[in-house]
Amino acid sequence: MEMTESGEGRKDVLVLLEETEGETVLRRLNAEDGSVVWEFRETTRDVPLQVSTNVEKVFVVYLKGVSGAYNLKVAVLDTLTGKRMDEMVIGSRADVHGKDDVMFVGANSAAPVVAWTDDARQTLRVNVLGTKSRQEFPLPEGTVAVEIHAPHLVQSQPHFLVHSKTATGHRGEVFHVDLKTNIISKAYSLPLLAGPGSFSTSSDGANVYFTRITEDELILLSSQSHGILGRWPLKTGDSKAAAIHGVSEVIKKTGSQDSYAVRAAAVTDTDDWVLIRNGELAWTRPEGMTGGVAATFADIPESEDLARSLEQEAHINPLQAYIHRVRRHLNDLQYLPAYLDSLPIRIISSIRGTDTPSTDGKLVRDSFGFHKLVVLATKRGMIYGLDVGNSGRIVWRKRAFKIQKGSKWDVKGIQADESSGQVTILGANDDYVLLKTDTGEVVGAQAPGPDATTQSTAIVDTLSGPRLIRIGRDGTIGELPVYRAPTQSVVTRGAEGELKGVVFTPNGTTSYESTSWTFSPPQGQRIVNIATRPSHDAVASIGRVLGDRTVKYKYLNPNTLVLAAVNDATHALTVYLLDTVSGQLLSGAKYPGVDATKPIECAISENWFVCTFFGQYSLRDSPAQAIRGYQIVVSDLYESDEANSRGPLGDSPAFSSLEPIDAAAGGAALPSVVSQTYVLGAPVSALQVTQTRQGITSRQLLAYLPQSHGIAGIPRMLLEPRRPVGRDPTPAEAEEGLLRYHPAIEMDPKSVVTHEREVLGVERIIAAPAVVESTSLVFAYGVDVFGTRVAPSFLFDILGKGFNKVALVGTVVALGAGVLLLSPMVRKKQINMRWSASM
Amino acid sequence: MQLPSLLLSAAALLGTTVLASSAAHDRQSTTTTTTTLTLRIPASPPVLPNPHALPASTRATLTALGAARAAPLSAANTFVFRDVPAGSYLLDVHCPTVGVMPLRVDVGLRANGDRDGIGKGEAGLEVEVWETFRGGDWGNKGAVVPVSAGGADGGAVVFEARVVGGREYFMERSSFSVLSIFKNPIILLSMVSMALFFGMPKLVENMDPEMRAEWEERQKENPMNAVMGASTGQGVNPLGNFDMAGFLAGSSAKADEGSGGSGNGKGKGENRKKR
Repeated sequence: MEMTESGEGRKDVLVLLEETEGETVLRRLNAEDGSVVWEFRETTRDVPLQVSTNVEKVFVVYLKGVSGAYNLKVAVLDTLTGKRMDEMVIGSRADVHGKDDVMFVGANSAAPVVAWTDDARQTLRVNVLGTKSRQEFPLPEGTVAVEIHAPHLVQSQPHFLVHSKTATGHRGEVFHVDLKTNIISKAYSLPLLAGPGSFSTSSDGANVYFTRITEDELILLSSQSHGILGRWPLKTGDSKAAAIHGVSEVIKKTGSQDSYAVRAAAVTDTDDWVLIRNGELAWTRPEGMTGGVAATFADIPESEDLARSLEQEAHINPLQAYIHRVRRHLNDLQYLPAYLDSLPIRIISSIRGTDTPSTDGKLVRDSFGFHKLVVLATKRGMIYGLDVGNSGRIVWRKRAFKIQKGSKWDVKGIQADESSGQVTILGANDDYVLLKTDTGEVVGAQAPGPDATTQSTAIVDTLSGPRLIRIGRDGTIGELPVYRAPTQSVVTRGAEGELKGVVFTPNGTTSYESTSWTFSPPQGQRIVNIATRPSHDAVASIGRVLGDRTVKYKYLNPNTLVLAAVNDATHALTVYLLDTVSGQLLSGAKYPGVDATKPIECAISENWFVCTFFGQYSLRDSPAQAIRGYQIVVSDLYESDEANSRGPLGDSPAFSSLEPIDAAAGGAALPSVVSQTYVLGAPVSALQVTQTRQGITSRQLLAYLPQSHGIAGIPRMLLEPRRPVGRDPTPAEAEEGLLRYHPAIEMDPKSVVTHEREVLGVERIIAAPAVVESTSLVFAYGVDVFGTRVAPSFLFDILGKGFNKVALVGTVVALGAGVLLLSPMVRKKQINMRWSASM
Repeated sequence: MQLPSLLLSAAALLGTTVLASSAAHDRQSTTTTTTTLTLRIPASPPVLPNPHALPASTRATLTALGAARAAPLSAANTFVFRDVPAGSYLLDVHCPTVGVMPLRVDVGLRANGDRDGIGKGEAGLEVEVWETFRGGDWGNKGAVVPVSAGGADGGAVVFEARVVGGREYFMERSSFSVLSIFKNPIILLSMVSMALFFGMPKLVENMDPEMRAEWEERQKENPMNAVMGASTGQGVNPLGNFDMAGFLAGSSAKADEGSGGSGNGKGKGENRKKR
């Protein structure tokens, strides 16, 4: 639970762990190799709180009693052996309400204290650890929260500061502990200042300094007296930093008597991390972006003025339209000097091959479609707008809700509406935020309610365009107005975890939901992963041309999903392919020996799907051989087993999942599945397929490598189920680009899109098409945030950075010079020739 | 002044207790039949001369069905897996800079045996280690990795991993250089012919008059005369006296060619006479 260093020659670590059955264990771990030096077990059902030490003893602080009326219990242990020396209960009355009331447990200092308040935050009770007495101090009127700051060095004087926050301001009171008598006395108090602020301690030998960061000042105080040692105005630029919590380091300048240098790192109320050096902002870091829970790509909204004036021109008579246009162009002339100004910079940067940064902060779409925004919501309730085309510059940041300490914002869905330029974020507790994409201005919001009502959300097509709808906890959506009801079937999870297909039937102005099908996995199977098609899944060609010029037609049913269900008893994984309109099972595959405790993930795109898991089994066709490792199964879906055949559907222009054609075999037209399994060199998670505008570019499977902290782009060419097994490809197959099957796919470092950077804890990867066909925009979030552009078939439609413009221009100039030099020579020669020829 | 010395003595005292307690810990673990495995990364000169240069995020995983253990890189370039129960495991080292051969680790699967390269772990659990091939049969074991007893705790086993290669994340971008153009054989050939084209007439002009006369006599006898004459630029262009109108009118082209060839020689002779 808590970690504290024990101040010994070798700094060992004390760890307090809460185990099941109310048992708590305190372990002293060797700082060099993490082995257990000793452990102390407590089997009483007390709530463990913290561990603390002074020089010779270890204190374990528990809450003893029943919920709402606790007493503090302190167990005193010997530092060297971990044997219990003493145990005491502080106070006779049960006056501690819960864990949150205990403000502070000091550690490592000469006199560690424990402090707690009553529920109304009126009195503060302090106990010096190791003694039984406690002292009470009244808290200032209107206090809502209390923090205590004390030095963490044994040599430092045992002084501490009580930081009490009111609704509008904050104040501090400094107390001294008498080491001999263990009596706590109040030394001085600091004035109430408006706004939030932070205190931090720093000790230099015996001296203890307190650094106070308010909204506009950095103040340095000594613990001895209330005299201000130094004060610096805060220069944090245009960003208003309201520090919430900080740490500081104070250095007394040698030579001069009362000259100090202070640097303080603080967390601000916008989840940023700033370092303030003598009042000046040294750096700031958007630490709040860790813990992303939802993100989406959004186009930069186009300038509405231009669209409006163009529309206007189309609707008035030609002469007026002409005058209007001329006037508009004359008006545009005012931007000409600025444009001419920027020309040299643009030319130089284009020759150097660097991207032109749009430093003026204006958001403009570019012709390649690289300039997009990413809207990222974090679990701490912050929303960020990032400019993808500008190395992820933060365009805006907004706090959506104040999220309580210990809880997190459970975002279920996010959708960017291109037509209105707004982003909708739906949370689990009936909350929503609607904000503008380009400025982050909140248009509408509803704070989270007490209960989680939402199972998930889905982006559906409605009569009024695509919409994000909320799905209730047991898979019910409820009645919706006709214009907002989905026009397709929606797949939800039922109360028992089964899958349901829900359709909406309009009746008057309201649409009512009805279940069209349900799919329950067989007894003992548990659904672990569901993959659906990306909303943008362009398919360039309906068939694959084989080496012998025959065509295998792809099975391109847009209403399919992949479902992975695992049986925990038999370790069997079953992967189902379902038709979402009819609930029909299109294909199924079973894999034995799959570890359900390791990630099992699927992805589907175009006419293929992949599933990755850890498998350990013997081969079906040769049971003597066994396979073990992280595997990926790729399956291609075709309309028919044979080439040049369109299967039971033939050339019919339409098909229906609900009314299957009368095939010879009967039933629905089932796809022909070709599968192959590969063994991966490392586990993968967060699967995502790259998306491009037309789908002509070959695809890559993007996957996070949790062990080596990178994002790999596995080419689809490698993950090809038709690779010939056990023989070299025939010339026809080689022409198709098929390589010989090799079971292992090692992660090629050149295919790692994060290169050498370590990206930690990626939860999801999202992809979006750019305007140019070759490129797909990629954004990964989780703990770290990472964005890039990938070109699976290389940059075939734009000039790469490697294109040497200097060489091109140089060659042209050299050629020109050569022509100029040679032309008089050639002319002279030709004239000579003419003359001699005539003779 | 007294404080540091006091601390030192405390540390010394602590050291003895650590040994005692770890021994106690070992005794405790014998009842649960587990062992401690230590994997060491040796210095492998061409790729990794100094294993201390490994990034701190390097970690090793021990996986089997239903088991997953991970160990961070220690300061001594080892990965220590504690309390490993009997079983057959896949051991991978995940490192962003070097590739390491995956290993198969069998703990306590052999009943008895004292072959070389088998380390006795705690509680009589025998540890065997082989290199394994990803995607290959699990029974197809590679080279045996020698296992020795020892390590940080008494009774643990130590074995070494094999570093197989560095990991290159970047491709060198081909850069343009003028020299690369001249390395092209086609360019070289055309340059040689260009040199001939421009250099020959100069050579001929600089020749001694008698030598030149002799050379030209030989040129006349040469059947390639016409061709050479054209290429050296001395004679008349064969197309120079090509009569298009006559050709279109259907006059004999062969006769023209013949006269052109002989006229060529004459032209040269006349040229010389003029000078």
